[in-house]
Amino acid sequence: MTLEWGYKRAFLRCALLFVVGTTLQLAVGDIDTSLLRYPWGLILAVNYLYLLVVAYAMRDKWRWLRQLGDDKACISSLASFGVMVIIFGLTRQDPLREGWVGAMGFSRMTASWPFNLLLLYFMTTLGVRVVAEIHHLRRYRAAAVMTHLGVFVLLVAGTFGSGDTVRCMVTTHVGEPVNVGRDDAGHEVMLPFALTLDDFSMEEYPAKLYLLDTRREKSSREFLSVEAEGAEAVIDGWRIRADHTLDMAGHVPGESAWRAMNHIGAAPAVYVSAENVATGEQFRGWVSCGSHIFEPSYLMLADGMAVAMPRREAKSYLSRVNIMEEGGVRRDVDIEVNHPARVGSWRIYQVSYDIAKGRWSDTSVLECVRDPWYGAAHVALWLLLASGVVMFVTAGGRRVARAYDGDKGTDGAGDMNGADGVVSHKAAAARRRGRGKEVKR
Amino acid sequence: MTTWDQLLWYAAVAAACWVAGAVAAYRTKRTWAPVAVSLCGSAVFLAFIIGMWVSLERPPMRTMGETRLWYSFFLSVAGVAVYARWRYKWILSFSSVMSIVFVCINLFKPEIHNKSLMPALQSVWFVPHVIVYMFSYALLGAVTLFAIYLWLRSSRREPSADEMGLCDHLVRIGWAFLSLGMVMGALWAKQAWGDYWTWDPKETWAAATWLGYLLYLHLRAARPKERNVAFAIIVFSFLLLQMCWYGINYLPAAQGVSIHTY
Repeated sequence: MTLEWGYKRAFLRCALLFVVGTTLQLAVGDIDTSLLRYPWGLILAVNYLYLLVVAYAMRDKWRWLRQLGDDKACISSLASFGVMVIIFGLTRQDPLREGWVGAMGFSRMTASWPFNLLLLYFMTTLGVRVVAEIHHLRRYRAAAVMTHLGVFVLLVAGTFGSGDTVRCMVTTHVGEPVNVGRDDAGHEVMLPFALTLDDFSMEEYPAKLYLLDTRREKSSREFLSVEAEGAEAVIDGWRIRADHTLDMAGHVPGESAWRAMNHIGAAPAVYVSAENVATGEQFRGWVSCGSHIFEPSYLMLADGMAVAMPRREAKSYLSRVNIMEEGGVRRDVDIEVNHPARVGSWRIYQVSYDIAKGRWSDTSVLECVRDPWYGAAHVALWLLLASGVVMFVTAGGRRVARAYDGDKGTDGAGDMNGADGVVSHKAAAARRRGRGKEVKR
Repeated sequence: MTTWDQLLWYAAVAAACWVAGAVAAYRTKRTWAPVAVSLCGSAVFLAFIIGMWVSLERPPMRTMGETRLWYSFFLSVAGVAVYARWRYKWILSFSSVMSIVFVCINLFKPEIHNKSLMPALQSVWFVPHVIVYMFSYALLGAVTLFAIYLWLRSSRREPSADEMGLCDHLVRIGWAFLSLGMVMGALWAKQAWGDYWTWDPKETWAAATWLGYLLYLHLRAARPKERNVAFAIIVFSFLLLQMCWYGINYLPAAQGVSIHTY
């Protein structure tokens, strides 16, 4: 008994791919993306694209090639990949997880065979459709073609380029040049440049005062943001007032009072008065979050309550770094979160600092990323951005495909899915003639 | 200076305008009157959002409560846009009720609003990323209500081509904005962390939502007669959207691993 090519068979094909993927997963384990390292990733990508074009060109000779990019294949692969993404979302990703979830690769989804096979199938159906659409460009389908092309290039760059991305953490200390990083696995990565941290600086948000229940070790939800002297708020029945504030302060051992101090390790301190709104009971004293040099101070109130100041939150932090490239060329760059520096195909990101020292940190943690597929992925993303705008502008337009109106088009005459080229030349010609019937509203 | 406590007053005026607009849609044949009244409500609500923006000294887009403000605003605007374009009287009632529900959540479950904005959020992509997502969520919320109405209405009347066309247009615009939000997020992530996409739980569910609505668009083009399946996909995709928006805060698989929790 043979099953005609239809949605049932299309979904069966996806189920078969899932079974094959699971079998491979159980037999050989996770996919090793290092196999896609340059030049193999690029060679495979070029061959894959060539095969897609060949598959499209030969579609009239073999029915299964024709079935690779039709509506049934597109919809079934899209739905099946969607199901895999939902399983991905429902499964906690943990490389060390055991049991059947771990064995099937669901807890390491991006490296699992079933996920990647269905992704490859989805990408292939999309790729054949893109070739068809480029072969038969139609202006009214601009948004769909741009979207298909953008998503396809992104998937190709993400899949075949996954082995080429190099990431490593570099811990820099002021004045010490470093040209070695460490990747996730702890391996050393030699960099083609040396980094020297000249300076690390940080801007912080104003200090916040919370009410602390020391018996239950619980902090109040509300807080007083000390933006200026005189700031006050009522928190859990206590009126808290910042009488005097010091941005940089310290105290000598044995003394409870904080005094202004322009010294490494200086911490913010606030002289607080607290009054119980119900009883009128009053307390006064210094509160500080302390630093790696000074111990923090709390103002103890009645019934185990205290006023406390957590470490101030970072508003921004910046590393001034000297980069020495291979030719001996030196230059200074400022690296901030959201503002990476660029050296050739490498980008250097601000990641962290010595949290214990906070603003006084003399250490900065940078991440160096080399991504040779950056250009392709970036062009695809901007294309997608443009296609989103075009789709918004043209949505609700007058030209509506026949499929929407008469409920007769069941073979891909729809707006999103109607690439002419995937079907045979005869059918395509018939389709083009049929376009005259598109309804104008 | 605008404070969170003043939301009640702004919301009361906005809700009154939205309800008046919804009633006017049934009472008058002129389109401009309900549109103008409803837009007045949206303008008042936007004034509150801008006031919060000024007083917080950062865009009010960080916490769930703050994103709900934008959702209420965009839902009301989307309702007016659909009414102005397709003259569906009921859409203003739907969008008003939905907007008011989200305002009420903010009134009854207020969050402490903190001026701090962590360095990763300080990017040119922050505002457009959140705004296009919220606009998209609002549109997709509206189309979900419409789809449920068409699917389960008491008359059991088959949806007309016009009604299905409205569904398709709304999903298409909503999906276009989902794509914009996703792409902006990817460009931002590359700038902040060096990766376009890391399969963070929020990103995974965003991809599932995006694929869900994409499936609807393709199914409608290829199998327009399958209305029940199409409606089911709209409702299911909206559930995926809820998971992406706030569901991951409660999902055991996503606890403590998402970098999208602020």
